[in-house]
Amino acid sequence: MSESETLLQDSTALDQPWQVVVYDDPVNLQTYVTMVFMKVLGYGRPRAEELMLEVHQLGRSVVWTGGRERAELYTQQLQSHQLQTAMEKAGS
Amino acid sequence: MKAAPTLDGRVRIDPESELDLIVLRSIIPDAQGNGEALAARLGTGMDPSASEDWEDFVKPDLEEQFNQQVLTVAGVLAEAKPGVPLFIGKEDSDSWYGALNQARLALHDQHGFDDEEELEEMSEERAAARIRSHFYQVLQGLLLDVLMFP
Repeated sequence: MSESETLLQDSTALDQPWQVVVYDDPVNLQTYVTMVFMKVLGYGRPRAEELMLEVHQLGRSVVWTGGRERAELYTQQLQSHQLQTAMEKAGS
Repeated sequence: MKAAPTLDGRVRIDPESELDLIVLRSIIPDAQGNGEALAARLGTGMDPSASEDWEDFVKPDLEEQFNQQVLTVAGVLAEAKPGVPLFIGKEDSDSWYGALNQARLALHDQHGFDDEEELEEMSEERAAARIRSHFYQVLQGLLLDVLMFP
């Protein structure tokens, strides 16, 4: 593989969007999850409630998609509120 | 025991007897020692390419934060006496809510409560754990309604 191909691959990997995924758990209160989505992700109440219900009903929800650095920050902040949260590469 | 909002925007808990204090202090053994397990659980499902950094840099901070929540509540409850009200302000609400959440999660893991199951059908230990978990949930609801998400 040439150097330019390697650089292109690295650049593609860096640009690939990431998803922040929140999973359902047996104890977190619905109002609390809504509040955390509003506080951490900056969503309005309707959007936060929609995502909270998706977590509750489907077992998981992609709550944000974008660059890696921001995804890491949101993941850490959601986890610090005791929400089970993971980062995934979008489309994986 | 009574728990209610105050006019100045705090939550007041009135432990009226030694038994009330025993119930309140149960938060600590129910929650204590779960910080590491909880931090590990919260990161389940991380993409493999991100998990090493997460293990090294994020997980230790989460463990410390969760353990500190329990220590904060333990410090308050160590000083509590029957007939003397406890006040929880906005500045301590995250610690209290977090410690209660850890306690409920640990109880759920130990006992796997089923909403359909009647208390009368449970062993004494399991029923006591279910009652504590419900009590913690009620306190969390009060903290949310009064201090965290009014």
